[in-house]
Order: sequence, then structure tokens, then C-alpha cells
Amino acid sequence: MFLTLTLSLHRLNVQLHESSMVYQPPIGTKDLLPLEVAQKGWMEDRVQMVFHRWGYQRIITSTLERLDTLRAGGAVRPESVLQIQTEGEALGLRPELTASIARTAVTRMAGAPLPQRLYYIANVFRRLRGEGINGSQELFQAGVELLGGNGLSADSEILLVLLDCLSTLGLRHWCIVLGEAELTRSLLMPFPDNLRNGVRRAIAHLDRVCLETMPMAEELRKRALILLDLRGEPTKVIQTLNGLDLNPNQRRLVNRLKALAELFTENTTLLQYETVSSPTTTLILDLSLIQTFDYYTGIVFEVISDIETGQRILGQGGRYDQLLGHYHPQGKDCSGIGFCLNVEELQQALLKLNQLPQEIPPIDWLVVPTTNQSRSAAFAYAQDLRKNPHPLRVEVYLEEDLEPASVRDYAHRRNIKRIAWVEDGPSGTLENRSQPFVEIINDR
Amino acid sequence: MVTIALPKGGLLKDSIYLLKCLGLDFSEFLENSNRQLQIWDAQRQAKALLVRNQDVPVYVEYGQAQLGIVGYDVLREKQPLVAHLVDLGYGQCRMSVAVQATSPYHSPRDLSAHCRVASKFVNCAREYFHTIDLPVDIIPLYGSVELGPITGMSEAIVDLVATGQTLKDNGLVEIEVLFHSTARLIGHPVSYRLNQGGLRDLVDLIRQKTTDSP
Repeated sequence: MFLTLTLSLHRLNVQLHESSMVYQPPIGTKDLLPLEVAQKGWMEDRVQMVFHRWGYQRIITSTLERLDTLRAGGAVRPESVLQIQTEGEALGLRPELTASIARTAVTRMAGAPLPQRLYYIANVFRRLRGEGINGSQELFQAGVELLGGNGLSADSEILLVLLDCLSTLGLRHWCIVLGEAELTRSLLMPFPDNLRNGVRRAIAHLDRVCLETMPMAEELRKRALILLDLRGEPTKVIQTLNGLDLNPNQRRLVNRLKALAELFTENTTLLQYETVSSPTTTLILDLSLIQTFDYYTGIVFEVISDIETGQRILGQGGRYDQLLGHYHPQGKDCSGIGFCLNVEELQQALLKLNQLPQEIPPIDWLVVPTTNQSRSAAFAYAQDLRKNPHPLRVEVYLEEDLEPASVRDYAHRRNIKRIAWVEDGPSGTLENRSQPFVEIINDR
Repeated sequence: MVTIALPKGGLLKDSIYLLKCLGLDFSEFLENSNRQLQIWDAQRQAKALLVRNQDVPVYVEYGQAQLGIVGYDVLREKQPLVAHLVDLGYGQCRMSVAVQATSPYHSPRDLSAHCRVASKFVNCAREYFHTIDLPVDIIPLYGSVELGPITGMSEAIVDLVATGQTLKDNGLVEIEVLFHSTARLIGHPVSYRLNQGGLRDLVDLIRQKTTDSP
């Protein structure tokens, strides 16, 4: 008897366990609940407004791409792509948008007048692999691509759009770290072929110990160590650069960088004039800000929030004049420059500054039928309210319990501003309805 | 203000001595009665965090500490995204392959394919055997790795060797050195780029102090 009981208890346990199964989202992904959506929307609305004001048009590309497309530019590591198994074709979820936009620009949009100003607000996916982690990550990005825009003006525009976004979002302090990939690459040319990639990798990863121990001539080591720490206030960095033995092309690039830094500083003051909180921007030139692959062909930059908001990388970008050629059927190059903002990082930074909505938008009206017969009239009155040119949030009371005390309690709990008590209209005709009695619950 | 992550264990004493020479005194960490995990120096210029060896690069990578001191072995094992700023020279040891002295193996290449290798440094071990093109089964352990060959669980181990005394006491011999390790000063890349809290000057001071006293 005892044995049977134990066994059935065991069975019951198993059943309980099965019925109480918790369904969780995959590692690295998350659901955004209404408040988070309101905060995300708040940020996106502002960024989008800035993009529109600068004349950028939204583009929506496919979430799924051929793996070849994603890989063609050389910036996407195949192991970081979440791959989709299909018959015959290797597909992946986009880890960023630039490859997709480059593909569209030279195919379906080929022949469109240049420059093209495009922007996106979209989700991206990454495969996470690390110690104890094996999952995927879904992130949101908002960014722009300026295609066919050359020279100092296009570089300046991109940096100023970025600045405009950040100040419109209400960030107070941030720092832009600006490098020049072509210049750094050119300054690495004196290193022999067998050393150059190693030196570049060490500089990109700030690995000074590696540069100190790598076998090379002392003259070269000195140069490598200068490049590793070639950063700081723009005028000082330009001064150090001019002290190096530069060739005419390098001199041209340095002069352009100098002009960009000056233009940026002048315009920062202009932009700040318009904002109430008067943000402060620091521009740091950093010639060690390079990638280990040849994707960027001109300026590269990162925008970093201040210590108060956790020194987050809020966005990054750069010039990529050879990317579109990889996608063009005849390999024709077209210049491009862009940046993308990391929405999650922005959200974390803005939360620290109490800039984001702290509650979901409140309901303006609760329309309550006073009797069961007035339910139709209640829906009709709610619809009238919704026609208001100033958009209102109108909710119809659905509960069976029409006791005024219960209704008021409901409105209080939900922070609803006003109650409209609707009585049954004569013979159901909408025109002859009597005006509802309005009660103010929360006057804000 | 700069926060420095210091490792518990063998490197702590030398690290505290080095910082004390530069006017940052965290010697309270060395007192037996100490239970504190973070200490400010007297002038409140810097704060030190006392964390486990393997956790030093984690605090630095996430930017909770702008600087950290940790063995190169940990950096090789975990490959964190941190700046390698100074080779501090102390804490010398080597990552080695060892087997029982009575075993027939004189070189890792003598080990048979798919033999078992016990290690706390699974990535270092995997990478090494990959480079010599020998497929092995790595058994992850958290300590007393020498017991692997003694109990017969594994043919070899990959572990840190300082003096070699522990290996000898347990009847094991080194048959290959993977790399040599010393203590390293590491930095949070973003803080280093922004020179937050005058980080660069402090790093230069540490570098100078290290080169002056080899």
C-alpha cells in the first residue's frame, strides 16, 4: 500500500512538474513590455525627426540575407551570424544594416541620383559565443548612410547629424573619438609585410606589451609605440602628426582631419545654442582607432557617453568608399559614410539621466455605459472622442459591474483622467443622444 | 579617480608594493584580519578592488575598474577585450604540459590521439594541442590538477608551474612549456582612450617604475 502511494505521489510530481513548465525566451533575447516600448518609441521618434530634418529617407531591408551578402564587405565575421538552414541557400539574420543597404543601393536603387541619404531603424541579430554563453542576441539600431557623398562636407554632415541626434535625445555630455583609417594604414606602411598585420592588430587592441616584445628594429618599434598612443586633443595630435615625416598624401589627410576637427568644433557651438541643456562634446582624435580588417577607408568614430552614464559606446561609424564596389555587378565603387546608434545603450544612458518616460501614456477617457442598454451609445461616444484633432486615448469600460463606486475605483487604479457616463440614447439613434455626464478623476 | 582591480593570491603582495611605491597605499588588503573588498588610498585618488585572479579582467573589461593587475596566463586563457599596458615582470611562471615521471612520454607528441588531458586552463590546453594537431579530450578541473595522472583519470595535465616543486612532490615531470607568464597591467580600452582620471600618467608612472627596478 505504502509503495503504491509513493509511486502515485511520484507520478503526481512529474505531472505537476510538466504542467508548471516555464516558457522562457531564448538566451540573449528579451521581450519589450509597454513601458520599454514607450521608452524605445520616445528615442526613435526623436532620432527619426532629426533624420527627416536632414533630408534622410527611411529604407527597410530584409531581416534575412544571403550569407554571401553579409560577408562580402569583409566586416562581418561569419561566426557571429545567426544562420538559417534552408535548402540550397545559406541565409543569415542581419548582424548590421550597412551590407544590406549597400546591396540595395547598387541593385534596385542603381541609377538613383547621388548623393542618396538613407536611414534605418531596425533590429539586428548576433550569435553569442563565449564562456558559458551560447545563444543569440537581438539588438536595435538606428542609423544613416550617406551614399555618393564625398569629401570634407559629407564627413562633416555625418558627424553633425550624429551630434544633432544626441543633443535632441537630451544627452548632456559625450565624447567623440575620431580616427582616420586611411591615414593610420598609410602610417603603417613602413613596417615590413610580415610584421604589419601584427602591429596593426596590437594597435587596434591597445596591446602595448605585444609591441614592446615583437621582434623588430628599434626605429620601427618607436614608430609603433607613437601610433599606439597617438590620441588626445585635436590640435596636439595634429602637431605630433606634422612632426612625423609625412608624404604628400599623408599631409593631405592630416590637413583634412584638421579641417574636419575645426568645422566640427565651430558647428558644435551652433547646435548647442539651440538646446536648453547645453551639452558638452569632447572631440578626441585617436589614430589607434582602427579595425583589424580593411572596411573603413576614411574617418572612423565612436561616440561614448560620460562616466555618469557608464561610458557606453552609444554609436559608431565611418567612411567606406570601397564597400559598394563589392556589391556592384561591375564592381563600380561609390563612396559611402554612415553611423549607427545602439538603441539599448542609449536607453541605459538616458535612464540614468531620467530622460525617458517613466510610465506608459495615461488613458484620457474612460467611457462608461450607465446601463446595459447604453453599451452601444458608449462605443459611439468613445468614437466621437477619438475624432478629436488632438489625439486622445479613449477606453470603453467593459466590466459587468456598473456600480459607480467600482467604476471610479477602476479609473483611479488605472490613472485615467476622465470618466464619461453615457446614458441610453432614445431609440438608439446616434444623433439624438443625450450628452454624457463628465467626471474628472485625475486632473493633470 | 581611478579604480584598480587587484588579484587575490600570489600576485597581491608585489602588486601592493608596486602601487605603494607610487604613493597609492592599499596594504590593508594584506592584513590577516582584512575582510574589506574595496579600499580607498589615503588621499582618495584611487580605489582598489580585491577580486579573484580570473575576475580581474572581467571588472576591467566591463569598465568597473579602469586598471587591473593579472597574470598573463589568465589573459591567454580568457582572451578578454582589455588593453595590455605593461609587463610588470613579477609573478614569473610557465604554462606547461606534465606527465607522470614513470610514464613513457617525453614529449606531448608521444601522447596518443584522444588521450585525456586535465587542466584548469582548458582554452590554453585546447589551443596548444590544436597547434600540434593532436586531438585530445580536455577534462576541466578547478584545482589539484596533479591528481589527474596520479589517479589515472588523465595521461597528462596542462598547468602553471612556478618552481616545479608541486610537480616533483607528486611524481610528475614537465615535458613541454607552452608559454611564460608574468603579471600584467591591463586597462579598460574606452577609459584608456579617453584618458579618464589622468589614467595615462598613472600607467606611465607604473611603466617607469617597472623599467627602473628590473
